[in-house]
Amino acid sequence: MTLARTLRKIAAFFWRDFSIVRGYRAAFAFELVEALFGVATFFYLSRFVESPQLDRTLPAGSNYFAFALVGFAFFDYMSVALTAFDASIEEARQNRTLEALLVTQTPLRVILAGSAVYPFFALALRTCVYLAWGALFFHFSPRGANWTGAVAVLLASILAFSGLGILSAAYQILFKRGNPAKWLLLGISGLVGGMMYPVAVLPHPLQVVARLIPVTYSLEGMRAALLAGAGWRELLPSIGALLIFAIVLIPASFAVFGWALRRTKVTGTLTHI
Amino acid sequence: MSAPAIAVENLEKYFPPALTGLRSLLHPFARATQCALGGISFTVEPGEAMAIVGHNGAGKSTLLRILATLIVPTRGRAALGGFDVERDGQAARSRLGYHTGGDEGFYARLSGRENLAFFAAMNNMMGPAARERIDSVARLIGVADDLDRQVRTLSTGMTHRLGLARAFLHGPAVLLLDEPTRSLDPLAAADFRRMLKDDLVRRRGTTLLFASHTLSEVDEIADRILLLDHGKLLACDSPRGLRAATGTTSLEAAIAHLARPSAPPARGFGERSGEAPS
Repeated sequence: MTLARTLRKIAAFFWRDFSIVRGYRAAFAFELVEALFGVATFFYLSRFVESPQLDRTLPAGSNYFAFALVGFAFFDYMSVALTAFDASIEEARQNRTLEALLVTQTPLRVILAGSAVYPFFALALRTCVYLAWGALFFHFSPRGANWTGAVAVLLASILAFSGLGILSAAYQILFKRGNPAKWLLLGISGLVGGMMYPVAVLPHPLQVVARLIPVTYSLEGMRAALLAGAGWRELLPSIGALLIFAIVLIPASFAVFGWALRRTKVTGTLTHI
Repeated sequence: MSAPAIAVENLEKYFPPALTGLRSLLHPFARATQCALGGISFTVEPGEAMAIVGHNGAGKSTLLRILATLIVPTRGRAALGGFDVERDGQAARSRLGYHTGGDEGFYARLSGRENLAFFAAMNNMMGPAARERIDSVARLIGVADDLDRQVRTLSTGMTHRLGLARAFLHGPAVLLLDEPTRSLDPLAAADFRRMLKDDLVRRRGTTLLFASHTLSEVDEIADRILLLDHGKLLACDSPRGLRAATGTTSLEAAIAHLARPSAPPARGFGERSGEAPS
């Protein structure tokens, strides 16, 4: 299959999901307001968080509000990656479109990739809204940010997280519902990944665990790019680590998903709910 | 000589038992022991309409789903246009259209046209060519007037037609239909059968393999009937051949005769497939 044809198929998935969401305009407006409430909560919370240890670990010229805002906004990429793929499988199974999709001439990897494009696009919009609310009302100033570096970190993060998301979808297609590994990973990432506080404040064993999960590198890279305006040389360790996760996880996750799909074709449980 | 539209050789399918509770945890990959298809063989020639008939649990849907590449056979071989459904699934899928008789399988908030455009793209049809094809297939199947309505507002019959339009969108050589008139009222079902037989099979030469419990429908559409019972092939012949072989005057009586446990094999069994009963 040519690259152009693959991209047009992925565009068809995007258009499908966009067309469905377009029918729920009120929900979009409510999300904007919800984001404002979230940003405001962080702002007022940050006014009570002061610690010399924290100040030492924050990027130069930054404050806790900016730190938490970036952490909160970009941790969502991990959450969305872990839910987008298996949610698309579950939804397709519920509305009986999974079989119709699987008898088309579109390979499985394109179906999976296409299913995640809109959720990531919507999340990117939400991230912009978070940052915009922060800048408009709460003195968040990414003036010296390295925006291209931030985009590179984001793309590498999405690739690394997607591998975990496809593994989660493999679990979903095999066992139908309830994915304990996903919730465990989200819980651990929330605890040690540095969403609300720097990894450096954690006890040493938890810092070791933090180095084993991709979200840590993602948040470090993103904060360095957006809050400290770090150059490419400083961003390279984060981007490199994320790409290593991606190189290992993506082929492995496709292989596991292919095996899980075949297993459901053997047991005849592909469309079981 | 060209390959048959559908070729099935000694096809077997066993499913693992459905376990619940603690047993499902202790045996997550239980051995497949429950027979759904017990080594059946037949061929369908291009442009032929063949019906699969049998009781519930006879293996009709399993056979169709194996041919649609949605289930992997345990043993044996199935091919569409010479392409093995297991080893060369992608090529086999390019030759098949598959539709179950329900009114499901669509994005309810999208219009019929948007749904068809999406599935056309999944079958490598895009741009103006896809739009023209959607319009011509919608006219053929009789959904053109309702194509721009959201699927959730369509009647069961219309959604059902939309399903057939989707299956036929990429002009497949083989149509696999599972109980194609299950959810249609009698008038719509008659209209649907006419369209299947006259437009798709006779005029366009599409090969049709469909499962049905409605014997009048089978008699009207099918050139040959594949009679299954508990995964075994009992007979494969034309409706007239089955009546003659059993000495009966109606298809219902012929099938009832053949499905009896002590019934002798029908004359003409496997004549066109050249296969022995399993």
